[in-house]
Amino acid sequence: MDFVETKPVIANISEQKLQPVEIEILPGVYDIIRSIEKDPIDNTAKQKESAECSQKVLELQRTLEAARNTIRKLHGIEYSKEEQLRRLDSLRKQLALKQQLIKKYKNVQF
Amino acid sequence: MSSYHLSTRERLLAIVNDIEIVAKELIENTIAPKAQKMSSADHTQLVELLVLKDKELKSTLQLAADQAGIEKKMDALREQVRKQDEEINQLQKQLKEAEQILATSIFQARQKLASIAKANKRPVSSEDLIKFAHRISASHAICAPLTWQQGDLRRPYPTDIEMRLGFLGKSDLNINGHNLQHPSSLNEMHRNAAAAASGAAGTGGEIPVPSQNQFTWHSSGELHMSMGAGGGSVSLDTRAHKDASQDDVEVMSTESSSSSSSDSQ
Repeated sequence: MDFVETKPVIANISEQKLQPVEIEILPGVYDIIRSIEKDPIDNTAKQKESAECSQKVLELQRTLEAARNTIRKLHGIEYSKEEQLRRLDSLRKQLALKQQLIKKYKNVQF
Repeated sequence: MSSYHLSTRERLLAIVNDIEIVAKELIENTIAPKAQKMSSADHTQLVELLVLKDKELKSTLQLAADQAGIEKKMDALREQVRKQDEEINQLQKQLKEAEQILATSIFQARQKLASIAKANKRPVSSEDLIKFAHRISASHAICAPLTWQQGDLRRPYPTDIEMRLGFLGKSDLNINGHNLQHPSSLNEMHRNAAAAASGAAGTGGEIPVPSQNQFTWHSSGELHMSMGAGGGSVSLDTRAHKDASQDDVEVMSTESSSSSSSDSQ
């Protein structure tokens, strides 16, 4: 099969599995809930705590926005996996066809 | 899952939005006064949902990593396809060029074959060709005589004087009322003209009168060659019916160093 010609070429590319991007949102949420539940009796401590709390909330929002930006910058996720595999397959077929065409015309005996 | 048709990117963003919403709910529930707090069951469910969404996020991120790997392979494939495209284009150009060259060659070959067939239908002997070539060039219509200088009255075409001496000139003159001129040899006319010119010019810068071995057209339409200064002329019959003169012409044609190449064979 002509596909065998193309496969070795792809296999040369490093087969190292790419590490997934780390996005941690739960710790931030947990922190906020804990600070709210602390609820100190002391007024100054309360104010300090609430200030810290609002900081943490903002921090959480920033984390979420950063996560969204990272996701947007990721490559290769324009399509679902099935669609991507279909496209990969059609690319391979296209390459095989073109190689066949070139081979055919180079070997023509005039 | 209803989101299977969505791209991975959309799925990831949807999961992040869901986590945000659930987290907000949880935090609002935590800061809400006791009266508005949701039941512990609901709270537990929310927390479980949040954890589930987080797991989903992680698995989808792993999927995204896998897809990134596939994308790299596809990039490599696309690069190869691009190279093949280039090669195909190059091949196409070369084939087109070859086709054009072949078409032109075939066309020219056909033309040559047609002209060969045409020539073979009516062959002409090389002797005839050389004879005619000699006739054409002998009257200095192609190339000036070797002794020709600036100011020489000879021309490659029949001059005024020669026309008047010819048949047409003689017949017309009568009609126009001019006197019929006495038929004189062309040499005398030339000499008269030259004498008049030299008389006008003075001693210096005389126009040389060629008087030796010149070919001239005579009144009877025959080619005459003047020999020497005595004015005697030898007539060269350019008509084909006289065998003797034809022999002369033929002899002349073989003796003269004609520059024409004999490629009529």
